[in-house]
Amino acid sequence: MFSKTDYDVVIVGSGPCGSAAGMAAAKAGASVLILERKKDIGSPCRCGEGIGQHWVDEFEMKIADKCISSKINGAALYAPNNKTELVVKNKESKGYVLNRKVFDLWLAEQAGREGAEISVKSEVLDVTKDGGRVSGVVVERDGKQERITSKVLIAADGGESTIARMAGINSTAALYDTDFGLEYEMVNVPCKDLIEIYFTNKYAPRGYVWIFPKGKDTANVGVGIGGHCKPYAKKYLDAWIKEVGGERLKHAQPMAMKGGIIPVGAPMKDLVLDGFMVAGTAAHQVDPIHGGGISLAMDAGYIAGKVAGKCSKSGKCEKSALSEYERTWRQTREAKLLKRLLLRKVLEQLNDEDLNAIFQIIDTHGVENLLTGDYAPVAKDIIAKRPQFIKVLGALLK
Amino acid sequence: MITVDRSKCIYCGACVGVCPKLALKLKNDVRVECDSAKCIRCLACTKACPCAAISDQ
Repeated sequence: MFSKTDYDVVIVGSGPCGSAAGMAAAKAGASVLILERKKDIGSPCRCGEGIGQHWVDEFEMKIADKCISSKINGAALYAPNNKTELVVKNKESKGYVLNRKVFDLWLAEQAGREGAEISVKSEVLDVTKDGGRVSGVVVERDGKQERITSKVLIAADGGESTIARMAGINSTAALYDTDFGLEYEMVNVPCKDLIEIYFTNKYAPRGYVWIFPKGKDTANVGVGIGGHCKPYAKKYLDAWIKEVGGERLKHAQPMAMKGGIIPVGAPMKDLVLDGFMVAGTAAHQVDPIHGGGISLAMDAGYIAGKVAGKCSKSGKCEKSALSEYERTWRQTREAKLLKRLLLRKVLEQLNDEDLNAIFQIIDTHGVENLLTGDYAPVAKDIIAKRPQFIKVLGALLK
Repeated sequence: MITVDRSKCIYCGACVGVCPKLALKLKNDVRVECDSAKCIRCLACTKACPCAAISDQ
Protein backbone atom coordinates (compact mmCIF):
# COMPACT_ATOMS: atom_id res chain seq x y z
CA MET A 1 0.00 0.00 0.00
CA PHE A 2 2.82 2.38 0.81
CA SER A 3 5.72 2.60 -1.60
CA LYS A 4 6.85 6.14 -0.92
CA THR A 5 9.45 6.56 1.83
CA ASP A 6 10.32 10.25 1.62
CA TYR A 7 8.00 13.07 2.60
CA ASP A 8 8.21 16.78 3.17
CA VAL A 9 6.41 16.47 6.51
CA VAL A 10 6.01 13.38 8.66
CA ILE A 11 3.68 13.60 11.67
CA VAL A 12 3.62 11.08 14.50
CA GLY A 13 0.15 10.79 16.00
CA SER A 14 -3.31 11.27 14.54
CA GLY A 15 -5.06 12.97 17.44
CA PRO A 16 -6.42 16.51 17.12
CA CYS A 17 -2.87 17.91 16.96
CA GLY A 18 -1.56 15.52 14.32
CA SER A 19 -4.59 15.83 12.08
CA ALA A 20 -4.62 19.63 12.32
CA ALA A 21 -0.90 19.65 11.47
CA GLY A 22 -1.48 17.26 8.56
CA MET A 23 -4.29 19.40 7.24
CA ALA A 24 -2.26 22.60 7.39
CA ALA A 25 0.93 21.12 5.93
CA ALA A 26 -0.96 19.49 3.05
CA LYS A 27 -2.78 22.76 2.37
CA ALA A 28 0.62 24.46 2.12
CA GLY A 29 1.49 22.06 -0.68
CA ALA A 30 3.74 19.66 1.23
CA SER A 31 3.72 15.88 0.85
CA VAL A 32 2.52 14.64 4.23
CA LEU A 33 2.50 11.33 6.06
CA ILE A 34 0.65 10.85 9.36
CA LEU A 35 1.78 7.79 11.33
CA GLU A 36 -0.61 6.28 13.87
CA ARG A 37 0.39 3.43 16.15
CA LYS A 38 -3.14 2.25 16.80
CA LYS A 39 -5.27 0.29 14.40
CA ASP A 40 -8.19 2.71 14.82
CA ILE A 41 -7.88 6.47 14.87
CA GLY A 42 -9.58 7.96 17.94
CA SER A 43 -9.77 4.71 19.85
CA PRO A 44 -9.24 3.98 22.67
CA CYS A 45 -10.16 7.43 23.91
CA ARG A 46 -8.16 8.81 26.85
CA CYS A 47 -10.03 11.98 27.51
CA GLY A 48 -12.85 13.79 29.28
CA GLU A 49 -13.89 15.00 25.81
CA GLY A 50 -14.92 18.55 26.73
CA ILE A 51 -14.31 21.54 24.43
CA GLY A 52 -15.18 25.16 25.21
CA GLN A 53 -17.46 27.25 23.02
CA HIS A 54 -14.89 30.06 22.85
CA TRP A 55 -12.49 27.75 21.00
CA VAL A 56 -15.12 26.62 18.53
CA ASP A 57 -15.91 30.28 17.87
CA GLU A 58 -12.27 31.24 17.53
CA PHE A 59 -11.53 28.41 15.09
CA GLU A 60 -14.75 29.23 13.19
CA MET A 61 -15.18 25.48 13.23
CA LYS A 62 -18.47 23.81 12.31
CA ILE A 63 -18.15 20.56 14.24
CA ALA A 64 -20.17 17.83 12.52
CA ASP A 65 -23.20 16.84 14.60
CA LYS A 66 -22.04 13.23 14.72
CA CYS A 67 -18.97 14.29 16.74
CA ILE A 68 -21.01 15.88 19.52
CA SER A 69 -22.31 13.80 22.40
CA SER A 70 -23.96 16.68 24.23
CA LYS A 71 -24.21 20.42 24.33
CA ILE A 72 -23.06 22.03 27.57
CA ASN A 73 -24.63 25.16 28.97
CA GLY A 74 -22.16 25.89 31.77
CA ALA A 75 -20.19 24.48 34.65
CA ALA A 76 -21.25 23.70 38.19
CA LEU A 77 -18.44 23.86 40.74
CA TYR A 78 -18.75 22.19 44.10
CA ALA A 79 -16.99 22.86 47.38
CA PRO A 80 -15.41 19.89 49.17
CA ASN A 81 -18.31 19.74 51.63
CA ASN A 82 -20.75 19.75 48.71
CA LYS A 83 -22.72 22.46 50.49
CA THR A 84 -21.88 25.21 48.02
CA GLU A 85 -22.58 25.07 44.32
CA LEU A 86 -21.44 27.80 41.94
CA VAL A 87 -22.84 27.72 38.43
CA VAL A 88 -20.88 29.54 35.76
CA LYS A 89 -22.28 30.13 32.31
CA ASN A 90 -19.67 31.95 30.28
CA LYS A 91 -17.98 31.25 26.96
CA GLU A 92 -15.34 29.10 28.56
CA SER A 93 -17.70 26.91 30.55
CA LYS A 94 -20.23 26.51 27.74
CA GLY A 95 -19.40 24.14 24.95
CA TYR A 96 -19.62 20.50 24.04
CA VAL A 97 -18.78 17.05 25.25
CA LEU A 98 -17.46 15.37 22.15
CA ASN A 99 -17.41 11.79 21.05
CA ARG A 100 -13.65 11.68 20.58
CA LYS A 101 -13.70 8.45 18.60
CA VAL A 102 -15.87 10.12 15.97
CA PHE A 103 -14.29 13.57 16.31
CA ASP A 104 -10.71 12.34 15.85
CA LEU A 105 -11.73 10.31 12.84
CA TRP A 106 -13.59 13.30 11.40
CA LEU A 107 -10.49 15.47 11.76
CA ALA A 108 -8.24 12.82 10.23
CA GLU A 109 -10.63 12.50 7.28
CA GLN A 110 -10.20 16.19 6.63
CA ALA A 111 -6.42 15.84 6.69
CA GLY A 112 -6.77 12.94 4.27
CA ARG A 113 -8.99 15.00 1.98
CA GLU A 114 -6.37 17.74 1.90
CA GLY A 115 -3.96 15.14 0.57
CA ALA A 116 -2.18 13.87 3.70
CA GLU A 117 -1.37 10.17 3.62
CA ILE A 118 -2.39 8.32 6.76
CA SER A 119 -0.81 5.09 7.93
CA VAL A 120 -2.45 3.29 10.86
CA LYS A 121 -0.92 0.42 12.82
CA SER A 122 2.46 2.01 12.23
CA GLU A 123 4.69 2.19 15.26
CA VAL A 124 7.67 4.53 15.36
CA LEU A 125 10.67 2.75 16.85
CA ASP A 126 13.22 5.52 16.54
CA VAL A 127 13.99 8.98 15.21
CA THR A 128 16.85 9.23 12.70
CA LYS A 129 19.33 12.07 12.42
CA ASP A 130 21.62 13.23 9.69
CA GLY A 131 24.50 15.44 10.81
CA GLY A 132 22.56 16.62 13.86
CA ARG A 133 19.41 17.36 11.89
CA VAL A 134 16.33 15.22 12.49
CA SER A 135 15.86 13.37 9.21
CA GLY A 136 13.01 10.94 9.72
CA VAL A 137 11.84 7.87 11.59
CA VAL A 138 12.19 4.12 11.69
CA VAL A 139 8.71 2.72 11.58
CA GLU A 140 7.41 -0.79 12.07
CA ARG A 141 4.36 -1.75 10.03
CA ASP A 142 3.02 -4.80 8.35
CA GLY A 143 5.83 -6.99 9.71
CA LYS A 144 8.63 -4.80 8.38
CA GLN A 145 10.89 -2.06 9.67
CA GLU A 146 11.28 0.85 7.29
CA ARG A 147 13.16 4.11 7.24
CA ILE A 148 11.06 7.09 6.27
CA THR A 149 12.69 10.44 5.67
CA SER A 150 11.22 13.83 6.40
CA LYS A 151 12.24 17.41 5.86
CA VAL A 152 10.25 18.21 8.98
CA LEU A 153 9.16 15.68 11.59
CA ILE A 154 6.31 16.73 13.88
CA ALA A 155 5.84 14.91 17.19
CA ALA A 156 2.12 14.96 18.00
CA ASP A 157 2.17 11.83 20.10
CA GLY A 158 0.31 13.11 23.14
CA GLY A 159 1.12 12.76 26.82
CA GLU A 160 3.43 9.80 26.35
CA SER A 161 5.64 11.94 24.13
CA THR A 162 8.43 9.51 23.32
CA ILE A 163 9.21 11.02 19.94
CA ALA A 164 10.52 14.36 21.21
CA ARG A 165 12.78 12.48 23.59
CA MET A 166 14.04 10.26 20.79
CA ALA A 167 14.79 13.46 18.87
CA GLY A 168 16.80 14.83 21.78
CA ILE A 169 14.43 17.14 23.66
CA ASN A 170 14.09 16.18 27.30
CA SER A 171 10.33 16.17 27.62
CA THR A 172 10.03 13.53 30.34
CA ALA A 173 7.06 14.50 32.46
CA ALA A 174 8.06 15.41 36.03
CA LEU A 175 5.64 13.77 38.45
CA TYR A 176 4.91 17.03 40.27
CA ASP A 177 3.93 18.78 37.05
CA THR A 178 1.79 15.94 35.80
CA ASP A 179 -1.69 14.78 36.69
CA PHE A 180 -2.87 11.24 36.18
CA GLY A 181 -6.46 10.62 35.29
CA LEU A 182 -8.89 7.77 35.36
CA GLU A 183 -12.38 7.98 34.00
CA TYR A 184 -15.40 5.75 33.52
CA GLU A 185 -17.92 6.37 30.80
CA MET A 186 -21.11 5.46 32.64
CA VAL A 187 -24.81 4.89 32.09
CA ASN A 188 -27.53 5.58 34.69
CA VAL A 189 -25.98 8.91 35.67
CA PRO A 190 -28.82 11.46 35.72
CA CYS A 191 -27.38 14.60 34.12
CA LYS A 192 -28.28 18.16 33.37
CA ASP A 193 -26.61 20.21 30.67
CA LEU A 194 -23.80 21.31 32.97
CA ILE A 195 -20.35 19.88 33.45
CA GLU A 196 -19.72 19.26 37.13
CA ILE A 197 -16.42 19.92 38.85
CA TYR A 198 -15.87 18.73 42.42
CA PHE A 199 -13.02 20.23 44.37
CA THR A 200 -11.85 17.78 46.99
CA ASN A 201 -8.41 17.06 48.32
CA LYS A 202 -9.83 14.01 50.01
CA TYR A 203 -10.82 12.33 46.75
CA ALA A 204 -8.78 14.25 44.18
CA PRO A 205 -5.59 15.67 45.68
CA ARG A 206 -4.22 18.49 43.46
CA GLY A 207 -6.96 17.72 40.93
CA TYR A 208 -10.71 17.41 40.79
CA VAL A 209 -13.49 14.95 40.19
CA TRP A 210 -15.59 15.60 37.10
CA ILE A 211 -18.88 14.56 35.62
CA PHE A 212 -19.12 15.47 31.94
CA PRO A 213 -22.58 14.59 30.60
CA LYS A 214 -22.63 12.70 27.33
CA GLY A 215 -26.42 12.49 27.29
CA LYS A 216 -29.41 12.59 29.65
CA ASP A 217 -28.21 9.58 31.62
CA THR A 218 -24.67 8.96 30.36
CA ALA A 219 -21.51 10.74 31.43
CA ASN A 220 -17.76 10.62 31.76
CA VAL A 221 -17.06 10.38 35.47
CA GLY A 222 -13.41 10.87 36.23
CA VAL A 223 -10.69 12.00 38.53
CA GLY A 224 -7.32 13.62 38.05
CA ILE A 225 -4.73 13.58 40.82
CA GLY A 226 -1.27 15.10 41.15
CA GLY A 227 1.56 12.81 40.14
CA HIS A 228 3.15 13.12 43.56
CA CYS A 229 -0.04 11.97 45.31
CA LYS A 230 -0.49 8.44 46.52
CA PRO A 231 -1.85 5.88 46.02
CA TYR A 232 -3.49 5.91 42.56
CA ALA A 233 -6.30 7.52 40.61
CA LYS A 234 -8.63 4.52 40.32
CA LYS A 235 -8.75 4.07 44.08
CA TYR A 236 -9.83 7.70 44.54
CA LEU A 237 -12.45 7.53 41.82
CA ASP A 238 -13.99 4.31 43.08
CA ALA A 239 -14.14 5.76 46.59
CA TRP A 240 -15.74 9.00 45.37
CA ILE A 241 -18.39 7.20 43.34
CA LYS A 242 -19.32 5.07 46.32
CA GLU A 243 -19.04 7.60 49.12
CA VAL A 244 -20.00 10.90 47.46
CA GLY A 245 -21.89 9.74 44.37
CA GLY A 246 -24.30 7.99 46.74
CA GLU A 247 -27.91 7.63 45.61
CA ARG A 248 -27.33 9.42 42.33
CA LEU A 249 -24.67 6.99 41.14
CA LYS A 250 -26.10 3.91 42.82
CA HIS A 251 -27.11 2.35 39.52
CA ALA A 252 -24.28 3.80 37.42
CA GLN A 253 -22.50 1.23 35.28
CA PRO A 254 -19.13 1.70 33.62
CA MET A 255 -19.12 1.09 29.88
CA ALA A 256 -15.53 2.12 29.35
CA MET A 257 -12.43 2.78 31.42
CA LYS A 258 -10.12 5.49 30.21
CA GLY A 259 -6.93 6.80 31.65
CA GLY A 260 -4.08 9.04 30.85
CA ILE A 261 -1.30 11.41 31.60
CA ILE A 262 -1.96 15.13 31.74
CA PRO A 263 0.98 17.56 31.76
CA VAL A 264 -0.14 20.50 33.89
CA GLY A 265 3.16 22.36 34.21
CA ALA A 266 4.64 24.95 31.87
CA PRO A 267 4.80 24.32 28.12
CA MET A 268 8.10 22.80 27.05
CA LYS A 269 11.11 25.10 26.75
CA ASP A 270 12.10 23.92 23.29
CA LEU A 271 9.48 23.25 20.66
CA VAL A 272 11.76 23.01 17.62
CA LEU A 273 15.07 21.52 16.54
CA ASP A 274 16.64 21.33 13.09
CA GLY A 275 14.03 19.42 11.07
CA PHE A 276 11.80 18.85 14.08
CA MET A 277 8.77 20.22 15.93
CA VAL A 278 6.78 19.04 18.91
CA ALA A 279 3.19 20.15 19.44
CA GLY A 280 0.06 19.55 21.48
CA THR A 281 -0.03 17.53 24.67
CA ALA A 282 3.39 16.12 23.70
CA ALA A 283 4.69 19.71 24.08
CA HIS A 284 2.79 20.15 27.36
CA GLN A 285 0.49 22.67 25.67
CA VAL A 286 -2.26 21.89 28.14
CA ASP A 287 -4.35 24.11 30.42
CA PRO A 288 -2.78 23.73 33.90
CA ILE A 289 -6.09 24.42 35.65
CA HIS A 290 -8.53 22.02 34.03
CA GLY A 291 -6.11 19.81 32.11
CA GLY A 292 -7.93 20.38 28.82
CA GLY A 293 -5.85 19.98 25.70
CA ILE A 294 -8.01 19.25 22.64
CA SER A 295 -8.26 22.82 21.39
CA LEU A 296 -4.74 23.83 22.35
CA ALA A 297 -3.49 20.78 20.48
CA MET A 298 -5.47 21.61 17.35
CA ASP A 299 -4.32 25.21 17.48
CA ALA A 300 -0.63 24.37 17.97
CA GLY A 301 -0.82 21.52 15.45
CA TYR A 302 -2.27 23.82 12.83
CA ILE A 303 0.43 26.46 13.34
CA ALA A 304 3.16 23.80 13.33
CA GLY A 305 1.80 22.15 10.19
CA LYS A 306 1.48 25.44 8.36
CA VAL A 307 5.06 26.48 9.14
CA ALA A 308 6.38 22.97 8.44
CA GLY A 309 4.61 22.88 5.09
CA LYS A 310 5.96 26.27 4.09
CA CYS A 311 9.52 25.57 5.27
CA SER A 312 9.68 22.16 3.62
CA LYS A 313 8.67 23.71 0.30
CA SER A 314 11.29 26.44 0.59
CA GLY A 315 13.95 23.93 1.72
CA LYS A 316 14.71 25.93 4.86
CA CYS A 317 14.05 23.49 7.66
CA GLU A 318 16.65 24.44 10.22
CA LYS A 319 15.65 25.42 13.73
CA SER A 320 15.74 29.15 13.01
CA ALA A 321 13.19 28.80 10.20
CA LEU A 322 10.93 26.37 12.08
CA SER A 323 10.96 28.59 15.15
CA GLU A 324 8.30 30.72 13.45
CA TYR A 325 5.91 28.09 14.86
CA GLU A 326 7.32 28.41 18.37
CA ARG A 327 7.26 32.23 18.25
CA THR A 328 3.71 32.41 16.92
CA TRP A 329 2.44 29.89 19.44
CA ARG A 330 4.12 31.51 22.42
CA GLN A 331 2.91 34.98 21.40
CA THR A 332 -0.69 33.88 21.10
CA ARG A 333 -1.11 31.27 23.84
CA GLU A 334 1.68 30.97 26.32
CA ALA A 335 0.96 33.97 28.56
CA LYS A 336 -2.50 32.68 29.41
CA LEU A 337 -1.23 29.19 30.22
CA LEU A 338 1.51 30.55 32.48
CA LYS A 339 -1.02 32.70 34.27
CA ARG A 340 -3.17 29.62 34.78
CA LEU A 341 -0.15 27.76 36.09
CA LEU A 342 0.24 30.43 38.75
CA LEU A 343 -3.39 29.88 39.76
CA ARG A 344 -2.84 26.12 39.89
CA LYS A 345 0.12 26.55 42.17
CA VAL A 346 -1.96 28.71 44.50
CA LEU A 347 -5.01 26.45 44.51
CA GLU A 348 -2.98 23.35 45.28
CA GLN A 349 -1.88 24.89 48.58
CA LEU A 350 -5.44 25.09 49.86
CA ASN A 351 -6.88 22.28 51.95
CA ASP A 352 -10.54 21.27 51.94
CA GLU A 353 -11.38 23.52 54.86
CA ASP A 354 -9.82 26.50 53.05
CA LEU A 355 -11.75 25.67 49.90
CA ASN A 356 -15.03 25.39 51.81
CA ALA A 357 -14.41 28.84 53.28
CA ILE A 358 -13.52 30.34 49.90
CA PHE A 359 -16.64 28.88 48.29
CA GLN A 360 -18.63 30.75 50.95
CA ILE A 361 -17.03 34.02 49.91
CA ILE A 362 -16.76 34.01 46.14
CA ASP A 363 -19.70 34.15 43.78
CA THR A 364 -20.24 33.25 40.14
CA HIS A 365 -18.76 36.55 39.05
CA GLY A 366 -15.61 35.78 41.05
CA VAL A 367 -15.20 32.43 39.34
CA GLU A 368 -15.62 34.12 35.96
CA ASN A 369 -12.89 36.57 36.92
CA LEU A 370 -10.59 33.70 37.86
CA LEU A 371 -11.28 32.02 34.54
CA THR A 372 -10.52 35.17 32.57
CA GLY A 373 -7.31 35.75 34.54
CA ASP A 374 -8.49 38.73 36.57
CA TYR A 375 -7.24 37.30 39.86
CA ALA A 376 -6.56 40.39 41.97
CA PRO A 377 -10.14 41.52 42.75
CA VAL A 378 -11.13 37.98 43.73
CA ALA A 379 -8.08 37.51 45.95
CA LYS A 380 -8.72 40.94 47.55
CA ASP A 381 -12.32 40.01 48.33
CA ILE A 382 -11.33 36.79 49.99
CA ILE A 383 -8.46 38.31 51.96
CA ALA A 384 -10.71 41.15 53.16
CA LYS A 385 -13.00 38.58 54.74
CA ARG A 386 -10.40 36.02 55.76
CA PRO A 387 -7.06 37.79 56.27
CA GLN A 388 -5.27 34.51 56.98
CA PHE A 389 -5.45 33.69 53.27
CA ILE A 390 -3.03 36.47 52.38
CA LYS A 391 -0.12 34.07 52.73
CA VAL A 392 -1.36 31.81 49.96
CA LEU A 393 -3.49 34.16 47.85
CA GLY A 394 -1.01 37.03 48.02
CA ALA A 395 0.58 35.65 44.85
CA LEU A 396 -2.62 36.50 42.98
CA LEU A 397 -2.61 40.18 43.97
CA LYS A 398 0.14 41.17 41.56
CA MET B 1 12.12 -6.01 37.57
CA ILE B 2 9.15 -3.96 36.45
CA THR B 3 6.10 -6.08 35.81
CA VAL B 4 2.73 -5.06 34.47
CA ASP B 5 -0.46 -6.74 35.60
CA ARG B 6 -2.47 -6.97 32.41
CA SER B 7 -5.66 -7.59 34.35
CA LYS B 8 -5.31 -4.02 35.65
CA CYS B 9 -3.56 -2.17 32.80
CA ILE B 10 -5.74 -0.04 30.54
CA TYR B 11 -2.90 0.85 28.13
CA CYS B 12 -3.17 4.57 28.81
CA GLY B 13 0.56 5.23 28.41
CA ALA B 14 1.05 7.19 31.63
CA CYS B 15 4.01 4.99 32.57
CA VAL B 16 5.62 5.53 29.18
CA GLY B 17 5.36 9.30 29.58
CA VAL B 18 7.19 9.43 32.90
CA CYS B 19 9.92 6.89 32.15
CA PRO B 20 13.14 8.93 32.03
CA LYS B 21 15.02 6.25 30.10
CA LEU B 22 12.44 5.40 27.43
CA ALA B 23 12.57 1.87 28.81
CA LEU B 24 8.82 1.40 28.58
CA LYS B 25 6.90 0.96 25.36
CA LEU B 26 3.20 0.64 24.69
CA LYS B 27 3.84 -2.00 22.08
CA ASN B 28 1.19 -2.04 19.35
CA ASP B 29 -1.02 -0.20 21.83
CA VAL B 30 -1.95 -3.45 23.55
CA ARG B 31 0.98 -4.32 25.78
CA VAL B 32 3.38 -2.43 28.01
CA GLU B 33 6.91 -3.71 27.59
CA CYS B 34 9.86 -2.85 29.79
CA ASP B 35 13.39 -3.05 28.46
CA SER B 36 15.19 -4.18 31.61
CA ALA B 37 18.56 -3.16 30.14
CA LYS B 38 17.38 0.47 30.03
CA CYS B 39 15.31 0.48 33.24
CA ILE B 40 16.97 2.16 36.24
CA ARG B 41 14.20 1.15 38.65
CA CYS B 42 13.34 4.75 39.53
CA LEU B 43 9.74 3.54 39.91
CA ALA B 44 8.22 6.69 38.39
CA CYS B 45 5.99 4.35 36.37
CA THR B 46 4.59 2.69 39.49
CA LYS B 47 3.68 6.12 40.86
CA ALA B 48 2.14 7.31 37.61
CA CYS B 49 -0.08 4.33 36.89
CA PRO B 50 -3.72 5.31 37.55
CA CYS B 51 -4.65 1.66 38.07
CA ALA B 52 -1.75 0.38 40.21
CA ALA B 53 -0.95 -2.10 37.47
CA ILE B 54 2.84 -1.76 37.68
CA SER B 55 5.05 -3.20 40.37
CA ASP B 56 8.72 -3.82 40.96
CA GLN B 57 9.31 -7.45 41.73
